[in-house]
Amino acid sequence: MRRWLLLLLPAALAGCQVTPTTLPVAEPAPAAECRWSAGPGDSLDRVVTALEAEGFLVRHTDASLGLVSAERARTTIYHDNGVERLPRIGGFVLGGSGGHVSSGVMIGLGTGFGVGVDEATRIERLSVMLDQGQLQVARDIRMIDWRGDLRESRSASDAGFCRDLRDAIEAVPAGEAP
Amino acid sequence: MKRSFLILLLVAWLAGCATPAPPEPREILLAAAPETTLRETMHLLMERGYVIRHADGDLGRLEAVLGRMPGYGVSLRVAGQGEGSRVSFIATRGGRPLPPTVLDPLLTDLQSRLGLLP
Repeated sequence: MRRWLLLLLPAALAGCQVTPTTLPVAEPAPAAECRWSAGPGDSLDRVVTALEAEGFLVRHTDASLGLVSAERARTTIYHDNGVERLPRIGGFVLGGSGGHVSSGVMIGLGTGFGVGVDEATRIERLSVMLDQGQLQVARDIRMIDWRGDLRESRSASDAGFCRDLRDAIEAVPAGEAP
Repeated sequence: MKRSFLILLLVAWLAGCATPAPPEPREILLAAAPETTLRETMHLLMERGYVIRHADGDLGRLEAVLGRMPGYGVSLRVAGQGEGSRVSFIATRGGRPLPPTVLDPLLTDLQSRLGLLP
């Protein structure tokens, strides 16, 4: 019994101290479509105009570095609400009968299902960099539920989004942007 | 006997959780202009899927985040020093600093992009 506890101790300590050994990167990695050669008329003005037309709020720009950082928030329905991610496991039984006392451990598995539909806020954060004739995009998406808790966070530099953004930037007439 | 052992176990368990990671930044001297260093670091971070939240060439600052649970971040301070620049990096995970050694691969890539490696 004690040996079992001694085995548990390093496991518990290791569980607390898990840190990555290298800097984490996005998985999956940003799509190849998220980096493309800028056309002759492409400028930060066009990027900002296109982002505003797509509903993004520009949070920060640095013209000398060629950077635009923007975000877009909208309310959405969060379907995963009320569902436990992991089944609950555990249980302890102690009982006796007829003068005998015995103990045992019982393992139970269970999942819960709630109504499962609730409002949440979906926030996209995005940065676009225009440097040496190359445009590069990185994006992530976070879901925040009605309690204000972060429920989901993932990188979303996917091919579909980047292609749409590229089309939107190229659709801005050159010279129209202020 | 058994109770004291359990208390010891509990204390060790909690101590393991509470030990803070060393918060010192990773500092490096590079033979490149501060703005070039910032620009190349932005490239490297965006290639890895990081979203740049703030960067300023005049202030020599950069903040980037990665949207993976529980939330990772990298922040950078660059100061000009003679011909080169002094850069300090901090990587965080869920708001807590990570050990400075996690940044070594990024720094190697940065030096190779700047053409400083032999």
